[in-house]
Amino acid sequence: MNDAAERAEEVAADSAVADEVGHVPGGVTAEGELVAPVLPKGLRRVPRGVDEVATEHLVVNMGPQHPSTHGVLHILLELDGEEIIAAEASLGYLHRGIEKLSEHRRYAHIGTLLDRADYLSGIHTETAFAMAVERMLEIEVPEKAWWIRCLLAEVNRIASHLVWLGTFGLDIGAMGPFLYCLRDREQLLDILETVTGARMMFNYVRPGGVLMDLPPETEPMIRKFLSTFDKYMSEYDELLSGNEIFLRRVKGIGIISPETAVAFGLTGASLRGSGFGWDVRKERPYGIYPELDFDIPVGSVGDCWDRYVVRMEEMRWAAKLTTQLLDGMPAGDFTAKVPRVLRPPAGEAYAAVESPRGELGVHVISDGSDKPYRLKIRPPALYNLAVIDEVLPGYKIADAVAIVGSLDIVLGEIDR
Amino acid sequence: MLPDVTALNRVLAGVSGAKVLEEGPGVVCRVPFDRVLETMKALAGEGGEFDMLVDLFGTDTGEAIDLTWHLRAFGKDQEVYVRSFVPYDAEVASVWSVYPAALYSERETAELLGVRFPGHPNPKRLLTVDEIGSFPLRKSAAIRERADYARPGVRVTPKEGGDADE
Repeated sequence: MNDAAERAEEVAADSAVADEVGHVPGGVTAEGELVAPVLPKGLRRVPRGVDEVATEHLVVNMGPQHPSTHGVLHILLELDGEEIIAAEASLGYLHRGIEKLSEHRRYAHIGTLLDRADYLSGIHTETAFAMAVERMLEIEVPEKAWWIRCLLAEVNRIASHLVWLGTFGLDIGAMGPFLYCLRDREQLLDILETVTGARMMFNYVRPGGVLMDLPPETEPMIRKFLSTFDKYMSEYDELLSGNEIFLRRVKGIGIISPETAVAFGLTGASLRGSGFGWDVRKERPYGIYPELDFDIPVGSVGDCWDRYVVRMEEMRWAAKLTTQLLDGMPAGDFTAKVPRVLRPPAGEAYAAVESPRGELGVHVISDGSDKPYRLKIRPPALYNLAVIDEVLPGYKIADAVAIVGSLDIVLGEIDR
Repeated sequence: MLPDVTALNRVLAGVSGAKVLEEGPGVVCRVPFDRVLETMKALAGEGGEFDMLVDLFGTDTGEAIDLTWHLRAFGKDQEVYVRSFVPYDAEVASVWSVYPAALYSERETAELLGVRFPGHPNPKRLLTVDEIGSFPLRKSAAIRERADYARPGVRVTPKEGGDADE
């Protein structure tokens, strides 16, 4: 007999069985034996429809080139249908070894590396590093230098929050606010460029003070921006804060309790959104912040909406602080007398500032030479991001985008 | 801001080999590396109330890895540094069950300095890849020096008066 005839015989025998017994569902017998299903003629499987309940878990790679991942974030999501079962951030796409490189640079050259850590708010990282070095060298920073630092820090805070606001809107699906935010941020970058000579990589705050005095055209530029900022804020409010779709996407989504926030080391607006009012500017005051009059906006529930409101309020306060800083700008030196080559005595110092993302600390350990023995950046965004392992499970995949957007991460700082 | 040394000594009375010193960036609890988890439990518990891990990092001292845990107590507004010398081939118990903030920084410390943290629920690499072949933040891991940039036919002259901008 040839193969074809054999095969035809087998098929005929199978059909005969099926004819006799009708439909036999497959399964496992009580003895643990596997029984193959016997189906009616002409069918390959039982037409049971789509099982909507017992779906297989699926691992989805979100990023590193997804438009809503803010740079090169890569999140691994384990999904049951649309629901997230487990989440994990896969990082390191932007790791440049800034901490290791800093060990091979003189103190004066490190600012340029630190700008590239948190590339949206370079002034803050530079200030934290300058503070740590000043503590070790016991340099008295002139008052005016601190006023300039704080002025630029607040201008930089608004610029950074505007990027967050635009991209957060993009995450939710609102294209418009992004264009408005970047339009207004451009003015702030022009101000920063006038003062420091660079739009983002400033290298302007140096140990002992700042690089240059404020040029005379700075004040009118900032005042012009502030005169229109209220109008801009109401534009953003009209575009997002009152948008029904936006509200449905952020209210009650991504709730972080204060206990979770503290356990994962959240700082900044992500911590304050959970109702925990802790701000480095108030609790560990530096510079001239004790002399300024400002409030810390605090949320209540800890959902995306609270974090959104806190950041929006922070922008309004930053604008008010900028006005105060311009009004009170003293005369005097913009830098202390510092040696050309800095050699802090053996020892260490930790200095923290309130960056737009939270407590940004720089821990410098010196062995007495002209290069740091060890430099550690405390990246607020890394700790803020770590909370997704806890918060994302239980939400839908579309909410993951909203939650990560509300945490305001900058991958340059997370990966360093 | 600075915690009381005698009060901390009382909290750490059960941890053998723990010393509380005022040095470095503030108040430092120097503990043996196999007593770290015990120390964290004591500091997070009653009397310590340190509820947040601000940061975790290691320093290669040339003889061992000096690990630093920076803790903060919001209620008492205090900060303390827990430090421990870890030999190069030793293991330190993961403190994630006390401070979940350590989850990512322990992974980072493990790959950059070669300290292992048994008990970590997800001990993967965080920032680097498997092929890296060394622990970058150890002092033995060199970065490229001026001479390493030499190409055939290109002469790299050492800069006069030191290495101002290497």
